[in-house]
Amino acid sequence: MSLSDLPWNHFDPINHFPTGQDSTSGFYPQHPHSSAFFDHGYSQLSNALYHPGSNFFFNMNTLSTAEMERFQKLSNEFQPDVQGPPVSTKQSSSVIAMEYANADPTFATKTNALAITHPLTRTMKGDGNCGWRAVAFGYFENLLNLQNLMQVDHELARIRALNALLNQTVQEEHLYEIFVDATEDVFNQIYDAIRNGIRDETFLVNAFNQEYSSSAIITHFRLLTSAWMKRHPSRYEAFLSMPLEQYCATRIDVVRTEIDEIGLQALVDGVIEGSGFAVEIMYLDRSEGETVTPHLLTPPPATGGTICLLYRPGHYDLLYPAEPTVNMEPVVNYQYAMTSDYAPWDQGALAFDVNSSLMTIPNLMMDPSFGMDPSPMPAAPPSPYRVSPPQEVYQPPPMHASPPMSIASPPPAPPRMSAPPPPMSSLPPRSSDGPQIRLNPLVMKPNLSHSLPVTTPFKNSSPYNQAHFQNQDFEPIHWEPSDSRK
Amino acid sequence: MGSQKRIAKELAELVESPPEGIVVKLADESNLYTWNVYMDGPEKSPYQNGKFLLNLSLPTEYPFKPPTVSFKTKIYHPNVTNDDKGSMCLGMLRADEWKPSSKILAVLQFARQLLAEPMPDDAVEGRIAEQFKNDHSRYEEVAKEWTRKYATL
Repeated sequence: MSLSDLPWNHFDPINHFPTGQDSTSGFYPQHPHSSAFFDHGYSQLSNALYHPGSNFFFNMNTLSTAEMERFQKLSNEFQPDVQGPPVSTKQSSSVIAMEYANADPTFATKTNALAITHPLTRTMKGDGNCGWRAVAFGYFENLLNLQNLMQVDHELARIRALNALLNQTVQEEHLYEIFVDATEDVFNQIYDAIRNGIRDETFLVNAFNQEYSSSAIITHFRLLTSAWMKRHPSRYEAFLSMPLEQYCATRIDVVRTEIDEIGLQALVDGVIEGSGFAVEIMYLDRSEGETVTPHLLTPPPATGGTICLLYRPGHYDLLYPAEPTVNMEPVVNYQYAMTSDYAPWDQGALAFDVNSSLMTIPNLMMDPSFGMDPSPMPAAPPSPYRVSPPQEVYQPPPMHASPPMSIASPPPAPPRMSAPPPPMSSLPPRSSDGPQIRLNPLVMKPNLSHSLPVTTPFKNSSPYNQAHFQNQDFEPIHWEPSDSRK
Repeated sequence: MGSQKRIAKELAELVESPPEGIVVKLADESNLYTWNVYMDGPEKSPYQNGKFLLNLSLPTEYPFKPPTVSFKTKIYHPNVTNDDKGSMCLGMLRADEWKPSSKILAVLQFARQLLAEPMPDDAVEGRIAEQFKNDHSRYEEVAKEWTRKYATL
């Protein structure tokens, strides 16, 4: 083995340093997982290899054999020193912005914007499996969020059917069955959770933080990916720097080799896409622009659910886009719901007078569309201030888990859309605020204008978002209604 | 747990249809993770007619980490440490090359193949590797002698 065969995947980030770019301190932030991963990897290597004023890569050829061997040994023995659980709980994305607060301004700007568009994140341990883990976890989490037993059954059957692929590559069932078992076990847990009305994903986090099941699921997904690539070589071969068999043997099948772009595409093509979930990557790099660069790996989702990945050189985490509604108490959401139809009130307030008899019925008049429109919400009047589809308006933030209501992660899933409107009765009892229904448009007006910002096209830049303010270096982003979102 | 299920199946397969020149059994019937491997020295190698005892130890994380293989019988070989550990660690046995879908059978065949064809460029015993490359007949002589001395019943 020569240095050119170095397992670069261990410190992939180096590959991403632009030519001539040295390791400016602060270029990458002190991140508990990912940058420990590259800082460590890079510094260890650079201590050994990096001579100030010279270029690491060009110098390689002039190194003596003994030095080369030493570096080879270093690289072989390299183990990233990473802390934290394999999958973290959801946390505010402002954490990411904080990490980059003193970094390159491009990163600071992008991470601040990211904390608004994607207020929550879930950190993956940078142990070489983070990309695989992020996709696998995101897949199961989306499945849980859909709360659709049929879908779980369907997915389980689909994944089982992929055993046919494994039979061609691994050949002997007893060599892969325990990996499939671990995956099926998670399907069963999801099934039980949905049946028992459990929306909380803690059990999933636990499954992925348990070493055996986590390794087994990731291995299962790796084997499927590798089998898929071997089945469809023409789609990938041209992008590989080595024969496909060798690529699979050294980059996909072995434990703790970080996923690269081609592997990720194959994983998505072979394992995820059949679910109808979309996979989107947000690239956080120093490219031009004020926001992270999104890239959709799949066709737009057919059945709802998006696995949203944050990519930083050498590391993947999960992201959660802002809910279309503001995270507020449900009572506020009522008002918000009403705003979708504010225009007629504003203009004439006639609707209320006409329906005055209905006003006495609790729960009814909250939805001004009742009796007029079978859809959950009336179609919003064309307005520059609205972009979110009406259905989304009803989504309560996940923390207000009200089991009977179906909450889909955006975009809404067809099962939900075809389902009857969410029963209003599942919302907190009206009696307490019943009398507070201020149907008089004159009373409503101030509230309406207050709630207007959340219905702007920039719905994600909600000033109510805590993450927005937590960052000391926060700078307001000036939105112009005429700007198109990037 | 899945790990034991798989080990049990692999063991059963190896006992049922043992590969050429290799016999395995548990070192202790109550422990699936430590195996005794009896390996015949391959023909046309200096280890021919030798019976080597190897220890195959499976980590609790198996199959996510590779087994470790060590020679309990003293052997003169560039890829086996010339000490009381007799350890051997290269190729598929290395953690960064190990695949969870590899099987123990392949590990054992790999070990036996290494007796037939040492890999002096990946040696752990540099002196033996030098000799293997530069003074091959002397290497064969010593290896044969050790085989007769230590690996013959």
